[in-house]
Parts: sequence; C-alpha cells; structure tokens
Amino acid sequence: MSATTKIAVQSLADLKNTTDDALPNYLTSIKFQRSHRLIDVRLALGYTAVILAGGLFYFDWKHGWEASKPYTGPAVAVYFALNAAFSYWMWMVEKGSIFEGERTTGKVGILSTSKKYDPTYYLTVTFTDPSGKTDTRDISAPFSRWFTSDGYFVAKPFQQWLASNVPGIGAADPQNIVEEIGRGSAAEETGGVSVEDMLRVAGVTGVAGATGAKTKAGGSGRKRKG
Amino acid sequence: MLSLSPRQLATQVLNFALVLSTAFMLWKGLSIASNSPSPIVVVLSGSMEPAFARGDLLFLWNRGLDTQIGEVVVYNVKGKDIPIVHRVVRRFGGGSTPLRLLTKGDNNAADDTELYARGQDFLNRKEDVIGSVVGFVPFVGYVTILLSEYPWLKQAMLGLMGVMVVLQRE
Repeated sequence: MSATTKIAVQSLADLKNTTDDALPNYLTSIKFQRSHRLIDVRLALGYTAVILAGGLFYFDWKHGWEASKPYTGPAVAVYFALNAAFSYWMWMVEKGSIFEGERTTGKVGILSTSKKYDPTYYLTVTFTDPSGKTDTRDISAPFSRWFTSDGYFVAKPFQQWLASNVPGIGAADPQNIVEEIGRGSAAEETGGVSVEDMLRVAGVTGVAGATGAKTKAGGSGRKRKG
Repeated sequence: MLSLSPRQLATQVLNFALVLSTAFMLWKGLSIASNSPSPIVVVLSGSMEPAFARGDLLFLWNRGLDTQIGEVVVYNVKGKDIPIVHRVVRRFGGGSTPLRLLTKGDNNAADDTELYARGQDFLNRKEDVIGSVVGFVPFVGYVTILLSEYPWLKQAMLGLMGVMVVLQRE
C-alpha cells in the first residue's frame, strides 16, 4: 500500500511513517504473526478516558452544574489518571514500538526512531528465540537506501537491509540476505562528483586522451579534499 | 495518508478526541477548584469601564461566600443565560440570614434593580452569584466574542482543527 504512494523526500515524518508502515507488511509476509497488544492497550486507555469525559459532558449538559457537581471531581481525577497511564504507556512501554510479532523461530519486537535533521532510520530490534535467549541490536541506515530520489519506497533494499542485519529476520527470509560489499559508499562517491567535473573530463578527453587523464586525476583529488 | 489501517485511524481519531476532552476536563477541574460553574468568563459589555472592557478575560473564585462591598461579582439572572459582571454596592443580611447583594455597573447611571428578574430587588449571594473576580487578562477574550458573533467561525475552526489532527502524523 505505502509502496505505491509518492512521498515528499524532504519530510522526515513521511519517510519514517512510510517505512514504519512497510516494516510490518514485510515481517507478516515472512510469517511473523503480528501482535497488537501494545497499541490495543493504548487505545483502550485513551478511549476509556474520552468516553468518561463525554459522559460527564452529556450529564452536565442534560442536568446542569448543581446535579453533576458531586460526580465532576471524581470524574476529573479519574480522567487525568487515565491520561497519565496513557502517556506512561506510550512513552515508557511502547517507546516507539512499530512491530511485535511471533513466529516458530522466535519473537521479535521493533522500536523505530529518527532524529531531527538526520535522514537516518534507527531501529532497535529485540529477538527472543524459543529458548528465551534475547538478542537486542541497534541498526540504522539512511532512508535513501530504500527511497528513490523522487519519493517512492522500494521494498527490496529495505528487506535486504533487515534480513542481513538481524539474524532472527534473516533466518526467516534467507533469500534476502546480502553481503555488505560497500555498494552504498561507492554510490556516494559517484554522487560526489560534480557535473562540472564530469563535463570537463568528457570535454578534455574528447580533445586529447593524455591531458584528459591528467585532468581526471586532478578532479578526483580535489573532490577528496572537499 | 489515505491508506490507514483501522488501528491507525482509531489512533488519529483518539488524538483529536483527547485534545477536546482534555480541554473540557481542565475546565471542569477548574470549576471544581473554584467551586464555580463557569470559572472563566469574558466581559461582553462596557458597563464596567474603565475597570473592565469588552473582551477582557476574568477569573472567578466562588469559595468564601462573604462577599464585601466593592468586590466585582459575576451573576446570572434567573431566566436569562448571560452572566453579568458588576460591582457590589450594598449588602444586606449575612450570618444566619442569607447574604443579599445589590450590584451596579461602574459605567452605568443606575443600579441593577432593572436588570434583575421580575419582582427581584437583590441578588442572593449563594444562588445567583457564580463567583468574585480575582484576576483578569485584558482583551484575549475577544476571540470568543468574535466566535459567538460569527458562529460560522466556530465551525470553521473546529473543522480546521479536525483536519489538521487527522492529516498530521508526527
């Protein structure tokens, strides 16, 4: 679903949300049974508070202040207690959890974060195998690894990144394991060459091969300094 | 975000509902603390100038019912639902008998007997008055005057809030 939507690559929230949405799709596709326990508890707490406030609002509107006064104090206290529990659950228990799931090979829990002005996706993946041994690892990758420059999500590199860096996921999806061969850094280096450099290289090479080679060397040296 | 799962949709709706319900519950908490059904009121008329002008936001306190002459009180007249902000100029009774008050707007020529309900010459402190003014913020209440004078602004604001909360997903 998100894979077909175009997003604004300048928006870190869009990048993160789209990736957050894509991750459960991938993990359920490799037979992880998703558990919604965390969000369900949060929704239950939140909606209980909202229903309580709605009830008080209705009672107050129907019967007036004098009649609702004895209930207002306790209702306000309970409401803010629920609200506190809601916040506690969200910030202290969920902590940005985007996936909880189980499979025959073990249980996985994933938290995602991103930092302001930093287009990097940070994941904390906790994998618990059936014997109860947990393996927690923090992994991160630039969003550009699975977003095209015009804002489309590409599933394959994302899945490969997950499968290659988290053994628990890799075991469930061995076909997506790829070895790190420095492809990312090579791509960055090409990206660093300016258009002017390329044009000059092309132009000079067109006139005389020998001089062209010299210019090329000089060009890349300048780039390294920068 | 057009493709939301039911849980994501429920979360977005909840966020919006929590904003509204928290505002309402804060208001109710303040009501309980100040023992006043309406702890914050906006001045709607110029009858208390130069003390209070149209649009001033007043904070009320309704504990300690022994109101003195010179205090500014907010009262409701039976049968009318607009609260009036005026100064106490006379008091009668008190102690074992119910305290009764006569009020007058600083900017008005006459006292409020004309404003009271038919056959009523005084305010009953306990029944009619919803609080004494203990603090004010000038002018900020003008927003609510605009909102009540142009009701479509209210709907537009509520709609805008709803759209923003639903669309934004930080």
